[in-house]
Amino acid sequence: MSALIGGLLQPLAVPAHILALLVFGLLVGQHRAAFLTSAAFVAGLAAGLAAIAFAVGQTPAVDVLLAATALAGTLVALARPLPILVAMALTAVAGLALGLDSPPETISVAAGRAMLVGTWIGAGLVLALVATGASYLTLWWQRLGTRIVGSWIAASAILVLALRFARGLMFD
Amino acid sequence: MNTDHQPHVIAFATAALLLIVACAPAFAHTGSMRGGFVGGFAHPLFGPDHVVAMVAVGLWGAFLGAPAIWLLPIVFPLVMAGGGVIGILGIPLPGVEIGIAISAIVLGLMVMLAAKPPLLIAAALVGAFAIFHGYAHGAELPPGADAVAYSVGFVVATGLLHLTGIAFGLVARWPAGRIAVRAAGGAIALAGVVFLTAAT
Repeated sequence: MSALIGGLLQPLAVPAHILALLVFGLLVGQHRAAFLTSAAFVAGLAAGLAAIAFAVGQTPAVDVLLAATALAGTLVALARPLPILVAMALTAVAGLALGLDSPPETISVAAGRAMLVGTWIGAGLVLALVATGASYLTLWWQRLGTRIVGSWIAASAILVLALRFARGLMFD
Repeated sequence: MNTDHQPHVIAFATAALLLIVACAPAFAHTGSMRGGFVGGFAHPLFGPDHVVAMVAVGLWGAFLGAPAIWLLPIVFPLVMAGGGVIGILGIPLPGVEIGIAISAIVLGLMVMLAAKPPLLIAAALVGAFAIFHGYAHGAELPPGADAVAYSVGFVVATGLLHLTGIAFGLVARWPAGRIAVRAAGGAIALAGVVFLTAAT
């Protein structure tokens, strides 16, 4: 049980994951096809977590996630919805990267699986919460606030990517 | 105003607040919140040359009007991040401190004169200065700082300085407020002269 709860909270334990969930929630909320884009994210997340369960090796998931976050933040700032297939592909890649970057912090196989399930539910819930809230932001100042948050997240992600590159951590 | 959505908006805001509160121990758990976020947040606030220029950008928005006033807080952080990348990568950019001081002078003068150039020129001017400010922040980044938390803190602080300037600039709707905002622009330009003297 504690492993499941640990997994539920894991998306909120990593700053890069919080940024990604927030910006993709805003992106999904801005999009007309919110169900399909959020479904793509959750499916990608499930694939990433399943890969962890099958003991996939080290991947550059955090760099991919940050790049996707920067791109999504820029798109939120522009407030120009992407074509549905492109939006689904982007959210699926972000979900996959987030899943791959969420290895369970436990030795037991059963607890590890419970954590992965918890992470899937937790990240999915946070995305759904943010996306649902963002879909109600229809007044001009609310839409503007959404765009400003997207811009700030994109700027943060771009700086982090540059830092990781400068420190030799990118794709390490 | 569409009042039907207001309960949902309040619920969303409450949920977002709870999310942020939940995030605080998470950042603390990773050991990055206090060192990284606070360090990044404080960095622009403890540089008076940065503070006055950021506030001036917001103040100028009051005279530029829509859409510039609302485009600035969206576009500036992205351009500044570009400057930050140049600084982080260590690519030389000459005259950074002079550029920052000149940004305070020019932006202060724009506010003082209530200048209203075409949007493209205003955006190019602000964008050019954003690169200098971003470069300085990127180059001064402490080596041990947690990257994500520091960057978020730094961007949020910069954005809040803009919004402070915009909020103050809104008083320019009234004659007395307009004088106050223009006087603030003059003070910022004078401060810029002091920064320029120190930088040369």
